Amino acid sequence: MTKNLIAKLSRREALYGLGAGLGSIALSSFLQAEENRATSLRYSGNTQIFKATTNATAKTKAKRCIFLMMEGGPSHLDTFDPKPELTKRHLEKFKRSGEQESAMSSGDRYFVKSPFDFIKAGKCGADMSTAWSHLATVADDLCFYRGCQVESVNHPTACYQVNTGNRFGGDPAVGAWVNYGLGSENKNLPGFVVLPRDAYPQGGAGNWSNGFLPASFQGTPLRPTGSPVLDLNSPDWMNRQSARENLDLLAKLNQKHLASREGRSDLEARVKSYELAYRMQVEVPGVIDMEGENQTTLESYGIGKPETDAFGRKCLLARRLVEKGVRFVQAYAGNWDSHDYIAKAHGSLIRSVDQPIAALIKDLKQRGLLEDTLVVWCGEFGRTPDNGMRGGGQSYGRDHNAKAMSMWFAGGGTKAGHTVGATNEIGSEAVECVHHIRDVHVTILHLLGLDDNKLTYYHAGRHKQLSQFGGEVITELLA
Amino acid sequence: MTIKNGNEVKPRFYISTCLLFVIVVVLAGRLRAGEQEDEFSQGEKLFALRVQPIFALKCAACHGDDPQELGGEFDMRNRVSVLRGGESFGEEVLISGKGKESFLYRVVAHLEDGYEMPPKLADRLTEEETWSIRDWITAGAPWPDDKRILKIQKKYAEGEQVQTSKALSDDWQNRRYESEKLWAYRPLSVENVPSGSHPIDWFLDRKLAAVGIQAAGDAPPIAMVRRMSFGLTGLPPTADEVARFTKAYNNDPADAVNDFADNLMASPHYGEQFGQHWLDVTRYADSAGFANDFARPNAWRYRDYVVESFNNDKRFDQFVREQIAGDEMDDQNPEYLIATGFLRMGPWEHTGMSVFKETRQYWLDDVTDSVGQTFLGHAMQCAKCHDHKFDPVPTRDYYSMMAVFSTTQFADRNAKFLRSESRENFKQADDWVSKKLGYYNDQLKVIGDRIKAQKKNEKGEIKVGDDGLAPGDLSSQARMKKAVQRHSLEKLRTKPIAHAVYTGKTVKRNNFNKRIMMFKQPWEQGVLDPDVIFTGGSVYSHGEAVVPGALSAAESLGQMEAAAFPTAAQAKRRLALANWIANPKNPLTARVIVNRVWAWHFGKGIAGNPNNFGGTGKPPTHPALLDYLASRFVEDGWSIKKLNRLIVSSKAYRRSSTHSVPQSVNDRDPKNQLYATFGARRLSAEEIRDAMLFVSGELNSDVGGVPARPNINLDVAFQPRALMGGTASVYEPDPTPQQRNRRTLYAEKLRGLRDPFLETFNQPVPDDSCELRENSTIAPQALTLFNAEEVHARALAFAARLLKESQDDEEVIQMAFRDAMGRSATKDEVQVCTAAWLARTKDEAKLHPKPTEFKAKISRTVKSEKTGQLYTFVEHLPAYENYVPDLQRCDVDARTRGLSHVCLVLFNSNEFAYLD
Repeated sequence: MTKNLIAKLSRREALYGLGAGLGSIALSSFLQAEENRATSLRYSGNTQIFKATTNATAKTKAKRCIFLMMEGGPSHLDTFDPKPELTKRHLEKFKRSGEQESAMSSGDRYFVKSPFDFIKAGKCGADMSTAWSHLATVADDLCFYRGCQVESVNHPTACYQVNTGNRFGGDPAVGAWVNYGLGSENKNLPGFVVLPRDAYPQGGAGNWSNGFLPASFQGTPLRPTGSPVLDLNSPDWMNRQSARENLDLLAKLNQKHLASREGRSDLEARVKSYELAYRMQVEVPGVIDMEGENQTTLESYGIGKPETDAFGRKCLLARRLVEKGVRFVQAYAGNWDSHDYIAKAHGSLIRSVDQPIAALIKDLKQRGLLEDTLVVWCGEFGRTPDNGMRGGGQSYGRDHNAKAMSMWFAGGGTKAGHTVGATNEIGSEAVECVHHIRDVHVTILHLLGLDDNKLTYYHAGRHKQLSQFGGEVITELLA
Repeated sequence: MTIKNGNEVKPRFYISTCLLFVIVVVLAGRLRAGEQEDEFSQGEKLFALRVQPIFALKCAACHGDDPQELGGEFDMRNRVSVLRGGESFGEEVLISGKGKESFLYRVVAHLEDGYEMPPKLADRLTEEETWSIRDWITAGAPWPDDKRILKIQKKYAEGEQVQTSKALSDDWQNRRYESEKLWAYRPLSVENVPSGSHPIDWFLDRKLAAVGIQAAGDAPPIAMVRRMSFGLTGLPPTADEVARFTKAYNNDPADAVNDFADNLMASPHYGEQFGQHWLDVTRYADSAGFANDFARPNAWRYRDYVVESFNNDKRFDQFVREQIAGDEMDDQNPEYLIATGFLRMGPWEHTGMSVFKETRQYWLDDVTDSVGQTFLGHAMQCAKCHDHKFDPVPTRDYYSMMAVFSTTQFADRNAKFLRSESRENFKQADDWVSKKLGYYNDQLKVIGDRIKAQKKNEKGEIKVGDDGLAPGDLSSQARMKKAVQRHSLEKLRTKPIAHAVYTGKTVKRNNFNKRIMMFKQPWEQGVLDPDVIFTGGSVYSHGEAVVPGALSAAESLGQMEAAAFPTAAQAKRRLALANWIANPKNPLTARVIVNRVWAWHFGKGIAGNPNNFGGTGKPPTHPALLDYLASRFVEDGWSIKKLNRLIVSSKAYRRSSTHSVPQSVNDRDPKNQLYATFGARRLSAEEIRDAMLFVSGELNSDVGGVPARPNINLDVAFQPRALMGGTASVYEPDPTPQQRNRRTLYAEKLRGLRDPFLETFNQPVPDDSCELRENSTIAPQALTLFNAEEVHARALAFAARLLKESQDDEEVIQMAFRDAMGRSATKDEVQVCTAAWLARTKDEAKLHPKPTEFKAKISRTVKSEKTGQLYTFVEHLPAYENYVPDLQRCDVDARTRGLSHVCLVLFNSNEFAYLD
C-alpha cells in the first residue's frame, strides 16, 4: 500500500533534511517520553523509583521482558498439567447449577480426558504433552507455574486483567508500567512494542493501553501486514524530494510562528515531534527487515514454513527488538479458545508456536541474553476439565476456567527446571502456591528490579500502582 | 490559610506540606499556652493527636491487627511491645528520648534503604507526620491509656467532624477533616461585586494585584476570532466573519466580542461543540464494548438530545432531571425517554459466560459512580468497599445512592421521533444493513448445507479426529451467525426507539443480543434487588439494609433540608435523586457545572479536577469566583448561554496568550493559575478533522441523525478484530462524500474500533468519564497528519477549491492562509509557498495518477478457533458497490496537486493546530 520513504532516503539525507529546517533543536527522539517520565516521577514525589531504576541493573537480573500472550485461554490440561484422573472419569456426567453459575457452566456436564499423550521432558522431568516436541528440548530452562488464578471467565475482561490488572480496561498495561519504571534504552524506538496476531484480541488496543500514564508509554503495535506502524511512510506516489521539501517548508512556517511566541514549550515540543516521527521512520524498517539474519536462524524459528512462519517472525522480531533496547515486547498467538475440537485446534496451535518459542529460548541463551531477559508464556485463563458437549456431542473441547491455568517463565532470574504450584486431581482449581494474577505482576516487576509498592503514579486522587491494592512476590518462582 | 491564594509551585505536595506545617505550629502553640494549667504532657498530646492516629491508619494492619501474623515480628499494640522491637532493629526501634536515632523514626522517614515503611509508597507519611513520631519519642514516648487519649482528643483535636449517615466504624464516624478540604460541601459564599466591575475580572484582578502581576493586554483580533469560533462552535471562522469581527473589535473590543458570541451561540454548531464536551463526561458511544461490542442502535438519539438541549439553552436543572429520571417524570414524552440513555452510556455486556447477578451489579456500580462524577464531582466507587479514605462519604451513602437505581431496568422503549430530530439517511442506513445481512444469509445457507451433509456422515459418540470439513467451515458459520446477530441490531437504528430505562423488578435475562423489550407489568415478575450494603463490595455478601439517599455530608455541611427519599419499592426513586441534585441549595451541583463550563473556555477548571471535588481533587484557585459564578448561574435560571456570555465578556477571556514581559508571569505564577494570560491550546482531535473539512469545502454541516461512517485508515478498517465466537465485519465507510464528511461528533463511535486519527490526537476512550482532554504531543501525531491518506485527501480538495476561486498564484496563497489561519500571508510566506508550489507542480507533472479501485468484496485470512488453522473467506462490502470517492488525484491537474502539498503543510503547521 505504501512505499518506504526511508528506502529512498539515506539516513544522513533524512537527518540533514530535518536538521537544516530545524536549526539548533537537539535531535533526540524519545526524549519526550523520558522527559514525561522524569517529570511525572518527580511530580509524584517518586524519587525512589529513580533510585530503584539506577540500582535495578546492578541488583536484579532482568532488564527486559518478552511476554508471549496466548490469547483465548490455552488449556493447562492439554499442555503442561496432565490429569490421569480425567482419563478414568472420561464422559462421567454431572450437573451444575446455582446463582453463581453462568449459562456456559450450568446444565449437563461431562468430564473429558485429554486427547494428548504426555511426557516428562528434560532432566527436570517437566510435564508436557507430546505435541511440544521442540519446547521439550529447552524444558530445563523453563519454570512452570500452576498456581495462578484470575477473576473473570470472559475473554476481554480476563485479557484486560492479565495485561493491566484491572478487568474492565482503561488502566496501564504491564509493559507501560515497566517503561515508566525503567525508562527507554533506545531513544528512537518505543519502549513497549506489541506484535498482534492476524486479528486484534477481544478488547482491542485497550490491552496495551497507557491508561492514566502519559501517552508516550502506550504499547506501539507493529502490524503483521500493511504498514508496520500506521502512517509510518508517505503515500507511495510521494517522491523523496517532495517529502523532504514539504518538511522544510513546514519548518520555515513553524519557525516564524514560534519566533513571536517565545518560551512556548508546547509549540517547540510539537516541532520536535516531527523530527521524532522521522527518526522512527529510519529505525523501524531496519528492525523489521530480517535480511541480516542468516538462513539457519530463519529456519530454526520456522520462518518459511507455512505453519510456523507467522509466529516465528514474531519471536525473531521480539529478539531483535530487545537487542535494540526495547524494554517490553508482547507477542500474541491464538486463538486458543477451543470449546470444541480441542485435539485438532490445540494440536495445530501448539505446532504453530512450539518451534518458534524453542528457537527463541535457544537464541536468547546462545547470545547471552536469556540471563537478563524475562520470558513469560501465559493465556488469560485455563480451561475446564469438563465440557457441555456442544455441536451435538460430536467433538469435544473445554470451557473457560479462571481458577486454574498453566504459565511458564524463562530467564531473567526465574527458577529454571522447576514446576511451582499444583492444581487439584481433576485440574479444576489451583490448590498449591495459589496466587492472584496481581502477584504474578508484582513478581514480574520484582524480577525487573521494580517494587510494585513504590512504582506509583498519582492519578485521580490516588497513588495508583499496577497491583491496585498491593500484592506479594511469588518467591517460589525466583532462582 | 495563607497558602491558598494560588501561589503554590508544586501543587499538592507543597500545599499539604504547608497546611500540616501550620497545623503543627498551631498545635505547638496551643500546647505551650496550655502548659501551666494542663494535666497532659506535650508528649502525651503528640501521641493522642498525631502519633496514635498514624499508628492506627498506617501501621496496625501489619503490626498488631492480627497478633498471629506480625510483620517482622513487630507488635505496635502497646508501649511495651514497641519497646521490645522486632526482628530487624530490636530495642533500637524506640530509644526513649532519642527520636532521631530511633529506627521507628528512621524507617518512616525513609532514612534506611530497604526498610522504608509503610512499604506502599501510596501510604508514605508526610514529613510532618514523621516529625511528630520523632518528637514524641524525644519527649519520652509516653503512651496514655484509651480513656486519656479520648480526653485529650476531645479537648484539643484539630480539624472538623462531619455529620454523615452512618459509617461502618466509629473511628471513621468520629474522624476529623482539614476544614479546607470540605469546601465543596459548604453553602455558597457569595461576595458582593462592586457595581460597574465585571465580576470575573474583579475576582481575578485582585489576586493578580496581590502578587504584583500585570495582566496581558487584549489579544489581537485574529487570535480572538479563532478562539471564539472554535471555543463556541468547534469550527474555524469564515473569511467574512474574520473581516467583520476585526473591524468591530478594533472599534470596540467588548461589543465585538459580545455580538460575535451571540451569533455563534445562535448557530446550531454551538450545541455540537458544547454537546461534545458533555458527551466526553457521559462517555457517549454507539456500541457496548467488550466481547461482542454490540451496536447500541438508538444511542445516537441521546447524542442529538444533548446537542439540542445546549442549542435550546435548556435549564441545567431540567437537563439533570431528564437524564436521571426522564421516564419517571413523564414516560409518554419521547424526549425524556431518550434523555435517560445517559444512565446506560457506560460499557456493559452480559454473555453466556457471565453471571447475571454480577453483570447487573456491574451496571449498578457503574451508574452510581457515573452519576456521582457527572453531577456531583464525586467518584463514588472509592466508597464501595470501605468508608471513603479521604472524603466524608461513608459506604452507607454509596449503597443508598445505589438503592436509588435498584429498581431501574434496561429497555429499548418506543419513543416517537421528535420534530427536531434528523431523519436524513435513514434509507441509506437501512439499505446497507439489508444488503450486508443478505450476503451473510446467502453465505450461511451454503455453508450450513455443507456442514449438515458432513455431519450426517459422522458416526459414533465422540469423535476427536477429522470431520471432513474444511478448516474454516465451522468457524465461518459461527462468524457469520454472530455477524447476522450484530447487523440485525443495526436495523433498529432508524426505528422510533429510545435507548432507555424503566422502573420495575429485576428479571434475569440471558440474551442481550436483540432489542430489550419492556415488561408490560413491570412489578408482576422478577425480584427486587436487595437494598443493602454489600460487605467488602461483594454482591454475594449482604450487610445492613439501606434506604435510597444521596451524599449525607452535602446535606449536613451544605445546610440542605434533609430530603426524605421515598422508600417504597414502586416509588420514583430516581426522580427523588434528580430533584435532590437539581435543588438550588445543593452545594455541589451548580459549582460542578459552572466549573466545567469555565474549564471548557479556559482549558482548566477553577477547581482543577472537574470530576473530583473531594479532598483529593485540586482545590479551587479562586473559590470566591467559583461561588459567585455558581450562585449567579442559579439566579440566571441555570442558563449555560448566560454563563458563557458572562465569561466571554470578561477581560480575562480576551487576554492575549503572550505577555510583553513573560518572565514576570513565569516567576510569580509559573502554572498560569492567575490568568495573567489566556492559556493557548491545541485543537482537539475532532476540531482538527472538522477544520480540515471546513477549509477544504467538503464539510457537510448538517446537524444530527444516524451515525456517519467517515473514511478511516484502511489498514485499520480491514484489520480483523476478534469478537466472541468470530471476527467482526470490515469497517465500511458510507458510500457518498455527503454522508462521510460530517462533523466528527456524528462519526459512529465504536468501543472496539477506534479511528486511529482521533485516538492519536487524544480523543478519550469512552469507557471512563473524561473531565478534561489530554493534549500531549507524541510522534505518531506527526506521522498521521503528514502521511495519512485522509489528510492528503483534504489537502487536495482544499487546493482544488482555491483554484476554482482564483488562478492568480499570489491570490491563491493569500486565500489559503486566510482560510487556514484566519490571516493574510506575509511577503516571505507568499514567496516560499509559491516557490514550493511551483517545484511540486513540476514533480507532479511527471506523475500520472490513476483512479483508485474500490473492491466490493475482499478475502480475509484469520485463524480458526475450531481447528487452529488459517482459513480464508470472502466478505461482501456493499458500501463499495456504489461508492463515490472524494476528489482523487487523477481528477485534477499537476498544478492543483502541486498546490495540495502546500495545503498539506499548512494543515501540519503549528498555527493551524493551535489557538492563541
